[in-house]
Amino acid sequence: MFDYVSFLQNLSNGLLIGGVYALIGVGLTLVFGVMKTINFAHGDFVVLGMYGAVLLYTLFGWDPYLSLVLAMPVAFFIGVAIQRVVLSRLVNAPPESSLLVTLGLALVIGNILLLTFGAEPKSVNTPYSSSTFSIGEISLSVILVLAGIATLVIIGGLYILLNRTELGRAIRATSENRLGAELVGINTRRIEAIVFGIGASLAVAAGVALIPLLFATPTFSGAIFTLKAFVVTVLGGLGNIGAAIAGGLLLGVVEVLGASYITSDYRDAYGLVVFLLVLLLRPEGLFGKTVNRV
Amino acid sequence: MNKHMIALLCIVIAGAFYPLLFPGYLSIAITLLLFVGWATAWDILGGWAGQVSLGHASFVGLGGYFVAVGATHHGLDPWWTIAMGMASAAALAFAWGKLTFKLTGPYFTLSTIAIAEIIRLISINEGWLTGGATGVFIFSLPEPFGVDLFARETNFYLALAFAALCIFTVISISRSKFGYQLRAVREDESSAMASGINPATIKLKAFMISAGLTALGGGIYAIFLSFLEPHFIFFLLLSVQIALTAIIGGRGTIWGPAAGAVLIIGSGEVFRTTFAEANMLIYGLLIMLVVIFMPRGIIGEPVRYLIRRTYAKRAQS
Repeated sequence: MFDYVSFLQNLSNGLLIGGVYALIGVGLTLVFGVMKTINFAHGDFVVLGMYGAVLLYTLFGWDPYLSLVLAMPVAFFIGVAIQRVVLSRLVNAPPESSLLVTLGLALVIGNILLLTFGAEPKSVNTPYSSSTFSIGEISLSVILVLAGIATLVIIGGLYILLNRTELGRAIRATSENRLGAELVGINTRRIEAIVFGIGASLAVAAGVALIPLLFATPTFSGAIFTLKAFVVTVLGGLGNIGAAIAGGLLLGVVEVLGASYITSDYRDAYGLVVFLLVLLLRPEGLFGKTVNRV
Repeated sequence: MNKHMIALLCIVIAGAFYPLLFPGYLSIAITLLLFVGWATAWDILGGWAGQVSLGHASFVGLGGYFVAVGATHHGLDPWWTIAMGMASAAALAFAWGKLTFKLTGPYFTLSTIAIAEIIRLISINEGWLTGGATGVFIFSLPEPFGVDLFARETNFYLALAFAALCIFTVISISRSKFGYQLRAVREDESSAMASGINPATIKLKAFMISAGLTALGGGIYAIFLSFLEPHFIFFLLLSVQIALTAIIGGRGTIWGPAAGAVLIIGSGEVFRTTFAEANMLIYGLLIMLVVIFMPRGIIGEPVRYLIRRTYAKRAQS
């Protein structure tokens, strides 16, 4: 007999976790769309956000969701600075160069966090950390719902920015055709810096939203989040924001369902297997435009 | 016998006296030599064939685990298990390459990370095969001709032989037909195909040689550590270390990966007290500096400069 209640329970948990994955993936895919750079440091920005929230909580007792207000703008400027100082030197270099530089950046961020905060895992313990509420027979974790709401608000804001403002138009134009965008007078170097800033800001937001739920470790977590972000974006198709959201939700659901119906030992492997399958069989992503291959 | 072979021979002979001169610094020298070998082996695929892999820890782990599990659970001698480890690594590389070589550039790199992560998860979860997440301890090894395999001196000579074998392989490849085929594939696959080279076969061959050599180093590493933890030996960080060592030194050069290992392990030792566990900081800073300012690596740039100057002089006279 199939247990619908527990299935719905797993499904909703998966969707809520997936929302945060989507937030991580959207930043990566946005940066890829404009800069054609695979940002290996993306997961480390997530960890940076986690530690930022820990810092604000221990110093001022700020609630993680309050610290989003400060963390996102700060992350934006850090991202812009990194792009201006480091990545802008690599515009015409082969694609592997920027991959290697961001990999170096990931190691630098992770190890600076390690030197500053020490190796032991850190978290923020809010009063509502373990509380749940229920709809019918399904119980939902307050943290996950709050994280889901934060994700919706941020992605909604990003949607408005990209589709309703002049800056968003410039970003989309650069992403679609760099040369064309330059011809109509868009400063693509400035757009790249802004987009990298937005990407960093989204990653940090995801980290802040996750901290009441997960422990942050300086060097290990970064690689895991980067990998998840890759999985999400490749599932959807690199450079496509709507697809990254769908990919994030899908990854969350696949992980939670796989863990509860197959075996939880391989929780992290399910996403990777799907990732490899998509990469090999449908490189344009599950939701990308079909390309005929020979 | 070209000048590289002579240089290698001189270095090996000089290196053989190292344990007599610095008996207190053997562990660091063994680590250094293992990284020289791994980075050089990585470079066959990553530099000469141009396929950046971030999954080579899988082969280190495979080679190491064959030795450790063979010795602990099945009473097999290390020379057999090392051979088995190398053969399985080459077989794994064959399947792996068949699967992923149609991906190019960054996509290939991403797929290697994914496969290596899946292998790591298997090594942690399949306790019946690997001893599980707690690791395997090597208690006893045979003593061929009365040589204690656990002794640091023995480990040193094994690592020296391994590093020399890797560099020897690359020197032999560099002037062979295979070497030119590799470079042709790296520069432009379509043109390589037009001149009658099958890029898929060439890349597979490079991957298999690279994986087999890496597994050999893994086996020696297992004897050196005598304790293997899947979390560490299969982890992405080791793959990253191997790849970055080679890239910092200079991809597609004979001595670049070795020079990269000397620079990185050396500076890691100098800064060990300053940075303690954050030793990867050096990798991060160095790779950023090298990619931005010396895209061909610390050996590659000067070599290129010398070659260009020679050609310029020849053209003038």
